[in-house]
Amino acid sequence: MTSSPTEVITELADALREWLPTQRWFAGKDRPVESVRPVHAVSLVDGDPALLHSVIEVRQNGSADRYQLLLGLRADLPEHLGHAWIGTRAQLACYDATQDTELTGLLLDLIARGETHAGLDFQHEPGAELEIALRSRPVGAEQSNTSLVYGHHYILKLFRKLVTGTNPDLTLHRALRTQRCEHIAEPLGAIQGSLNGEEVTFGMLQRFLPDAADGWAMATASVRDLMAEGDLHPDEVGGDFAGEARRLGQAVAEVHADLAAALGSGSEGSDLLDRTVDAMQRRLDAVLASVPELGAHEAGLRSAFDAARELSEPIAVQHIHGDLHLGQVLRTVLGWVLIDFEGEPAAPAAERLSLRSPLRDVAGMLRSFDYAAHQLLVGHPGGSGAEDQLTVRALEWARRNRDAFCDGYAEKAEDPREHAVLLRALELDKAVYEVAYEHGNRPEWLAVPLSSIARITGS
Amino acid sequence: MSGSAGEVKPDAALGLEGIPHTGEGVTSDGHLIEPQAEDFRHARQAPEDADWFKRAVFYEVLVRAFADSSSDGTGDLRGLASRMDYLQWLGVDCLWLPPFYASPLRDGGYDISDFRAVLPDFGTVDDFVYVLDEAHRRGIRVITDLVLNHTSDAHPWFQASRSDPDGPYGDFYVWGDDDQKYPDARIIFVDTESSNWTYDPVRGQFYWHRFFSHQPDLNYENPEVQEAMLDVLRFWLDLGIDGFRLDAVPYLFEQEGTNCENLPHTHEFLKKCRKVVDDEFPGRVLLAEANQWPSDVVAYFGDPEVGGDECHMAFHFPLMPRLFMAVRRENRFPISEILAQTPAIPAGCQWGIFLRNHDELTLEMVTDDERDYMYAEYAKDPRMKANIGIRRRLAPLLDNDRNQQELFNAMLLSLPGSPVLYYGDEIGMGDNIWLGDRDGVRTPMQWTPDRNAGFSSCDPNRIYLPVNADPVYGYQAVNVEAHLNNNSSLLHWTRRMIEVRKQHPAFGLGDFTELGSSNPSILAYIRTYSADGAADTVVCVNNLSRFPQPVELHLGEFEGCVPVELTGGVRFPAIGELPYLLTLPGHGFYWFQLTAATDEGEAP
Repeated sequence: MTSSPTEVITELADALREWLPTQRWFAGKDRPVESVRPVHAVSLVDGDPALLHSVIEVRQNGSADRYQLLLGLRADLPEHLGHAWIGTRAQLACYDATQDTELTGLLLDLIARGETHAGLDFQHEPGAELEIALRSRPVGAEQSNTSLVYGHHYILKLFRKLVTGTNPDLTLHRALRTQRCEHIAEPLGAIQGSLNGEEVTFGMLQRFLPDAADGWAMATASVRDLMAEGDLHPDEVGGDFAGEARRLGQAVAEVHADLAAALGSGSEGSDLLDRTVDAMQRRLDAVLASVPELGAHEAGLRSAFDAARELSEPIAVQHIHGDLHLGQVLRTVLGWVLIDFEGEPAAPAAERLSLRSPLRDVAGMLRSFDYAAHQLLVGHPGGSGAEDQLTVRALEWARRNRDAFCDGYAEKAEDPREHAVLLRALELDKAVYEVAYEHGNRPEWLAVPLSSIARITGS
Repeated sequence: MSGSAGEVKPDAALGLEGIPHTGEGVTSDGHLIEPQAEDFRHARQAPEDADWFKRAVFYEVLVRAFADSSSDGTGDLRGLASRMDYLQWLGVDCLWLPPFYASPLRDGGYDISDFRAVLPDFGTVDDFVYVLDEAHRRGIRVITDLVLNHTSDAHPWFQASRSDPDGPYGDFYVWGDDDQKYPDARIIFVDTESSNWTYDPVRGQFYWHRFFSHQPDLNYENPEVQEAMLDVLRFWLDLGIDGFRLDAVPYLFEQEGTNCENLPHTHEFLKKCRKVVDDEFPGRVLLAEANQWPSDVVAYFGDPEVGGDECHMAFHFPLMPRLFMAVRRENRFPISEILAQTPAIPAGCQWGIFLRNHDELTLEMVTDDERDYMYAEYAKDPRMKANIGIRRRLAPLLDNDRNQQELFNAMLLSLPGSPVLYYGDEIGMGDNIWLGDRDGVRTPMQWTPDRNAGFSSCDPNRIYLPVNADPVYGYQAVNVEAHLNNNSSLLHWTRRMIEVRKQHPAFGLGDFTELGSSNPSILAYIRTYSADGAADTVVCVNNLSRFPQPVELHLGEFEGCVPVELTGGVRFPAIGELPYLLTLPGHGFYWFQLTAATDEGEAP
């Protein structure tokens, strides 16, 4: 190779500016990409195909975010990799190497061997014995990262948008592993490195759960069954989900207990409540400015938030999942498993790492039950009697499964409904966030969080 | 005192005058004279095949319900023999006959009053040998139930035991001066029995019984009892029977301080039974009826080091209710969970699996939550509940939905284990919930739209149970003749599926691996069997939902292979780099064989 890895990236900068916004994991799709420059680039494999590992800095509207890029270089790009093409330079096709199973096998082998290679630290967890030379395949449908599955055994998550410091996903998984937590996919290894002297997590290897189906698919199968019946209540239909919801509640409570046992917990008073409610009100201010439909509920929302400020008892805080919803839980033959402890991707790193009330996770899951219940109604022609009937069924489903979830949680920890005021505020805050998201991305879904807000605030 | 004048003969209660039976005479030392196998003709043997039971499709047939040759309104052995062509055409490999022994019939024939005589209603031992012969001639095997644990209180052994405590049978049963021993043994028939002990006024002692009080438990501590029961096995094996389903095996022995179930002595005796089979009758099988969790049932296969040295087969009970639950939930986890909890079994063993049988849908082995759920879903009419199960046949249990009947049968024929069909389910027979006890699922087989459904030429009032005449499942519409005349009938479909199953050793002998997918409504698995360098790999995909579903299967290790659909032979697109996408209609299923890619054979 005549050019250095850094030069390759630099020469590809224009192609990357075009390519990045087409990637699901790229967080800045709403703003133009001003510039792309390499801040780190090394060669992992020389020859043809060649593999570069790099971190690029993407500037947009004055912000600068760092993304991980695995770049493949080939003289002839095979047809099945056509979709991964980024650009061509010096007669070499440059493409997203996460899609190239010929190259990605190396990453597992390096983790298994525990090697430091080209400045990257490939680690396996103590006691983890890994099979190597497994065939890998990229996972489809992923939001913010790129994952590779090796055989039926392992899944390697490559973090795309990088944060400084050890990624909370890795930190929390490692902590839960020390507690022998049954409700996680066991962490088996990691790829770490440093950028400008600060530690960065590039990847995390976990046990793959080939038999798993995610909670969203499970829950919506149940809702589908209910909606097809029409004249039966949720506790009467074959697809009743309450048993699963209860076991899910138990699992979440056990994960919370294990996180507290491993990483500690604390207790906060009115300071935390003030800060929390201030943040809720600020978010509401911002969303009100862009979504006029929310205006009708402003008074109810503000008083629900302020009610939380008046609470006198101390609030238990600890590390939590941070972005819990039905898409972040998997049903396996051994029960429920929680995944993706990265926290809300859009939230600042400091917030993601702080101790927070576990009720946030509960609120997130309760919101998700509401979403699952209503998703089949999205896009239905409005106003008909049949739709009203389905709406009633959806509400019944949500109520039954939210209760079952809380029942299950309460079997393993304090009943979250004991903190009704705070839980309500957290749920409404989450719903306000959803309003903003749906307004920007899926306007036909806007009615889902809005109707929930109306119901909870009684407006 | 035996044989003295005026003494009530021990066989007085049997009603077996004129045919060979136990207790016709008594030896000088007081032993009852029993019929011997040499007294009868023996049936020809089925072809030799050590693994036959692993590949076999079993068919449970009630002699009383199948065909009546004597026009007395009750099915009999000669009647069963007369329908053997039908069973051969259907393709079943082995008949399982519930007990046809002499019995007062207070427990459906499981109360045996003579192990060496046939219930006169059904015929004679010679008739049974004729059934065996007719079956073996067609390559069909026959097994029957044998109750090891107890006898009827009408059995001459019990009559001798109660009247002569010091005689040769005095110690054949478990007697006690009070009813205080073994307090930790649960009472199984809680609806009818209040204790496991009952006082016998004749002997003035209590006798032990784990089931009904008219079924005293045999005393297996007595070596003579063990020998006597091994001789019962030999009697039928000599005549040519292919094996036994051993009823209620966990309860043979008692021991203070235990629940008197699954005791080590019980396993020792089963090993003795197995040794008799292996040494004297190789190729015959023992099937354990132990209604327990699979991890406990595996003990009845015996030592895995030697490939199993107790029973060859055992029923997998909890799978069945889970199949129903999974389809109602439209979610595979009820099935996936129970299969994941099922331990490996010794190399020489096989599970028996079933959808329905002559008993209720068994719920003993599900948790309380699941039991409540099953009741709520399947037994909206309280009359459908019995004890701890649900009395329905397959078709009415599935609302007579043909797609679901096919899906359930496809799973039965492809999940690990030998499938056991229940007579009449192949034509979608209904049940009659207005009949008492378990009789609703034991009505006469429906052969034709003629009188008595072609089951019997007797006066319709004389029939043992009325033929099903309801507007949906009645014999005028649902019968073998009508199904034979309609090529798209469930009967023809069932026959074709059995045929397909037989063409692929993977179903009977293969390993089982579940293929996960992100769609929880899809249950997919792969069965693989390799022998002599040839591999048979079958992928089964089942849609548990009533709605059409897509699924992406990860078949990367078979990249380049071509799935060939097994019922029609259609070649599907080759498996490539990406997940394999399939769409299934509601309650649909596919069976594919994975074959190495070859040219399609088109002209150049």
